[in-house]
Amino acid sequence: MAAVQTGHTVKKRTAGRGRAPVRRTVGQSGDRLAMQLAVCGGAFVLLVAAKVLLPGQAAVLRQSLGANLERNLDVREVFSAVGRAVSGEENGAEEVWQAVFRPLEPDAWTDVPQDPPSGTDTALPDSTPYTVGPGQAGFALDVLRQYRPGSGGAEARPRPDKESGAESGTETGPVSAEKKSGAETGSPQSDGRALPDQVNMEQSILNFDYCTPVFGTLTSGFGWRTDPIQGVEKFHYGVDLAAAAGTDILCFADGTVAAVGESTSYGKYCIVNHAGDCSTLYAHCSRITASSGASVALGEKIAEVGATGAATGPHLHLELHRGGVYLNPIYYVSHG
Amino acid sequence: MPVRITPGCCLLLAWFASANGWGTLLLVLAAAAVHEAGHLLALPDGTVRGLRLTVQGAALDIHSSRLSYGRELLCLLAGPAANFLLAAAAVRLRLHTLAGASVLLGLYNLLPVRPLDGGRAVELAVSWALGPRAGENAARSCGGLGGVLLAAGAAWLMISSGGTLWLLPPLYGFLCSALRELRGGGDSFSCHSTQPGTWKD
Repeated sequence: MAAVQTGHTVKKRTAGRGRAPVRRTVGQSGDRLAMQLAVCGGAFVLLVAAKVLLPGQAAVLRQSLGANLERNLDVREVFSAVGRAVSGEENGAEEVWQAVFRPLEPDAWTDVPQDPPSGTDTALPDSTPYTVGPGQAGFALDVLRQYRPGSGGAEARPRPDKESGAESGTETGPVSAEKKSGAETGSPQSDGRALPDQVNMEQSILNFDYCTPVFGTLTSGFGWRTDPIQGVEKFHYGVDLAAAAGTDILCFADGTVAAVGESTSYGKYCIVNHAGDCSTLYAHCSRITASSGASVALGEKIAEVGATGAATGPHLHLELHRGGVYLNPIYYVSHG
Repeated sequence: MPVRITPGCCLLLAWFASANGWGTLLLVLAAAAVHEAGHLLALPDGTVRGLRLTVQGAALDIHSSRLSYGRELLCLLAGPAANFLLAAAAVRLRLHTLAGASVLLGLYNLLPVRPLDGGRAVELAVSWALGPRAGENAARSCGGLGGVLLAAGAAWLMISSGGTLWLLPPLYGFLCSALRELRGGGDSFSCHSTQPGTWKD
C-alpha cells in the first residue's frame, strides 16, 4: 500500500479500490469547534437581543415556531396507507395522498367569523364567509371544530322508531334503506334549553337544488341528546341516517369537495362546499370516492356508508353549515 | 460489535415518540432493525467494526476494503431487501402499518445519494464495470444532483403537507450530501449516515 504523509495526517491507498480514508487533524477539529461555538453563541445573543428589544415580534415568532413544532402529519396513518396500497387495496394511492396531505391548522384561516350570528329565520345576518380552496384538504373541518368545543361526535345505534321531519326544496335520489333494530339513546331534547353558539334551529331557504344523500332511518336528530358512547348531554350538530354499510352516499347539491380526511371521531369524512356559503359534511363513511378539490354534482356518489370513527353502527352523519352556522339538516332530507 | 448512540439520536427518538406515540416509534425501530440485520447477515464475519445511531439514522462501520465490489454490492442491497421481505410478511399478516413503514424505509435507502445504500450501490456498480474513478464520478453526479432535487422535494412535501418536522433531518442530510458531492469531497462526510448501513473504511 502507498502511504503519503501530510502534516499529522496519514493517507493510505488501498490497492485496487482507488479511494483513501481521510483522518481529520487536531488543528482542523479545533477550528471546527471554534466555528460551531461562534455560530451558536451568535445565535444565542441574537435571540436574547430580539426578545429584549422586540418583545412583540419575538412573541409572534415564538408562537409561529410553536405552531410549526406542533404541525405534524399523522406518520402512523401514512404508514398504514402505504401498507394498504402495497397490499393491493383499492384506492390505495389515493389514500396515501390523503394521508400525506393533511389539512392545515385552523390559524391558517383568516376569514373565520369570530362573533356568533344574531337573528334567525330565513334572513341570516351577514357573516364573513370562509372559503376552502381545492388544494387545502380538511380546512373546513378544522374551522368547523372551532364551533364545536368538546364535541365527541359519537353516534347512536339505529332504532326502529321513525321521526318526522319537514321537507322542502327539490329532492331526488333512491328510495328506502334497511331499517335496523336496537337501543336508541340519542333523541334530542326540546325542552327550551339554550342552543350553542353558531346553531340555528330555524328552517332556512337554500337558494339551490338539493337532494337527500342517503335514504335511511333517522336514528338521531339535530339538537341536545345523551351521547350514546360518553353518556353525557351533548349537542348533536347533524342528523344520523342509518343505512346498510356500503350504501352510496350522494352529494347534497352541486359543489366542490373541500376536504377529505379521517379522524378518530368523524372516521372517514368528506366536506363539500356549495353555493350560498353553504357546506355539508358526511362522516363515518366506509369509503370516500370523491377527490379533494373535485367538482361534484347534485346526486353524484361521493362516499359509502360505514361505521368508521366514533360510531356504533353503519350510518351517515350529515351536517349542514351556512356561513359558519349549523343548520338543522332535517328540513332538507327525506328519511325512513 | 460496539454500538454508539449520539445524544441527538436520543433526543430525536424521544421527540418522535412524544409526537407520534411509542407504538409508531417501535414500528420504525423494528423496520430499521430488520434493515441492519439484513446487512449484518450478508456481511462476512470480521468486516463489521461497529454501529452508530445518530440523528440521521443508523450507520454500520465496516472494512469495505476486505470485500469485492460484487460482494459489497450484495451486502448493501441486503438491507432494503430485508425491508421488502418484512413488508411482504406484514401484508400477509394484515399488519399494514408495519408494512408501510418497512417499504418506505427500504425505498428511502435506495435513493441514489451517498451515504445511503442507493448512492453507494451506484458507486460500486459503476466501479465494478468501469473502474473506481468512473464509479466515484457517477456517485458524485448522482449524489449532487439527486441530493439537490431530493432536498427540494422534501421542502415541498413539508410545505404541502401542512408542515412536518420529521422531514428536516433527511432534508439536511440531502443538502449536506449534495454540497459534498458537488464540492468533490468524496467520502469524507461530516454529515452522518441515514437509516441504512453506511460503509466506511
